[in-house]
Amino acid sequence: MSQSMNEAAMRVNLLMTACVRKGLRPMLAGLMLLGLSAGAQHQGHPGAARQAECTKGDSTALPCANTATPFVDARGRLWLAWAGGGAISVARSSDGGRSFGSAVVVARPGAAMDGGADARPQIVVDPKGRVVVAYSQFKDKAYNAQVLTSTSADDGASFSPPRPLSSDPASQRFPALALDAQGTLFVSWLDKRTAAAARKQGVAQAGAAVAYAWSRDGGATFSTERIAQDRSCECCRIAVALTPEGRPVVVFRNIFEGGVRDHAVFTAGANGEAGPVYRVATDQWAIDGCPHHGPSVAVAADGSYHVAWFTLGAARQGLYYARSTDGGRTFSAPQAVGDAAQQAGRPTLLAKGAAVWLAWKEFDGQRIRIRARHSDDAGRKWSPDRTLADTGAYADHPMLVNQGGRIWVSWLTRDNGHQLIALDSK
Amino acid sequence: MINRRLCQLAAVALFTWHAGTAYAAPAASLSKDSFAQIRARHAGQPLVVHIWGMTCGPCMVELPQWGALLRRQPRMKLVLIQADQAPAQAREQVLDQAGLGRAESWAATGELDEYLRASIDRQWQGDMPRTLLITAQGEVTRIQGVANLAHVNQWLRQQTQTRP
Repeated sequence: MSQSMNEAAMRVNLLMTACVRKGLRPMLAGLMLLGLSAGAQHQGHPGAARQAECTKGDSTALPCANTATPFVDARGRLWLAWAGGGAISVARSSDGGRSFGSAVVVARPGAAMDGGADARPQIVVDPKGRVVVAYSQFKDKAYNAQVLTSTSADDGASFSPPRPLSSDPASQRFPALALDAQGTLFVSWLDKRTAAAARKQGVAQAGAAVAYAWSRDGGATFSTERIAQDRSCECCRIAVALTPEGRPVVVFRNIFEGGVRDHAVFTAGANGEAGPVYRVATDQWAIDGCPHHGPSVAVAADGSYHVAWFTLGAARQGLYYARSTDGGRTFSAPQAVGDAAQQAGRPTLLAKGAAVWLAWKEFDGQRIRIRARHSDDAGRKWSPDRTLADTGAYADHPMLVNQGGRIWVSWLTRDNGHQLIALDSK
Repeated sequence: MINRRLCQLAAVALFTWHAGTAYAAPAASLSKDSFAQIRARHAGQPLVVHIWGMTCGPCMVELPQWGALLRRQPRMKLVLIQADQAPAQAREQVLDQAGLGRAESWAATGELDEYLRASIDRQWQGDMPRTLLITAQGEVTRIQGVANLAHVNQWLRQQTQTRP
């Protein structure tokens, strides 16, 4: 059917070309306008008004962004880095997120922006006030990407031209930053260099490597790049948290034997070497594909690891939580979180002392909700779940943030723009 | 003889074409109403819907296999849905190279959010590639990840055998 329809279309197109040559353009223009207005009517959801506003106005503005990542600096000021309108922008708030100063565009990757479901710009501000932004963008037709960083030495008034984090020609995506108390910056990302090297040897190697490096000069340079594990899922974000001693804990979706994409963890030692890679849970999600759904990790003051992740494995399906009290060697039995029938997913974890918060997204077919629970005893017992907010149109993943001891969920939605939702334990 | 009347007819035909249907290049823009239109247009016949993305490595490896299957099964009703955003030219090149230049093609132009995903498959949480095998009676079988195309081929044969 499609072939004959294509031929018919070609004849109509040829005829139209002849019509244009004969000077019958005005009629065509009228029909094109009709077509455009018919297309515009497709937008019927509640966020349509803002969507339309975002399309014609300053689309790099925060309310029009697709993702926004919060960071609270040593002075308690909230920073946001967001991706929208083909740009990465940054602004800071001195009144707890009620208002933000002028937005500064850090970079304009345009259509090359890595806009995957789990991609988002990263931001940290070190104790000396140096701002570091990291993001990834595609660099060629094969959709290989590179991680770029940009820094600001003037409190976010201006940013350096973005520079590649790595000089490796293969693909890098999904940077995750963590800053220790001394201001040493850890970064981990997904890197295709070992897969590219294998391909040169004629070997098809699935997935990507988990790479990492440190910066001791506020993000100006990053030390020796290391590979922790070279068979990880290439399209799910990495999660990073620091132990009380400042050791980076990295959780990622690994590729186990048989193409099973379950979660794994490693901790980088004091010498910079990655410790053993341990499995978080045996979900048995065998998929030759991209789940686009990465984990979250937090480390409590007692050194316990807390991990939340999404799976559609043979053993279990949905959002799960587990804790480890032996540095990730073993984990508690996975505990189901939220309602799997309502697509519970996109977890975010945060620990403060012995308290742990977990927030996530659900969708009932009409409304997207942010749900949350907390634990006062490092994840042994959890509160009942509650709904923090909901929306009826596009919504970013929730992000937990600790501002001067108060816990908030940072959430960007098309209908309400950026919100900070208080989430204190009591 | 090209006269004004003929041009009007052609223009209306072209408008109807672009508004209602879209085959091969360029892909039609996928909104949350699109999938219902796709289902309605192909109702009563077996339909294969393949969801893929330019930024999804396994999808790019799999695509040429779909092209090969389409050559073997030219009567297969195949609808391609590109779920991430890419310049039209890049997409068309990839589909042409995969032997899928003539397949019905749709592409997301906005965010692949909960609403757009649910309009296609209520159970879909964004993993790619994903394939839906839909019988003439509307029963849906979901395949997560790269599909076993020998199984798809077998399914297609069963559908033609069981057709009234």
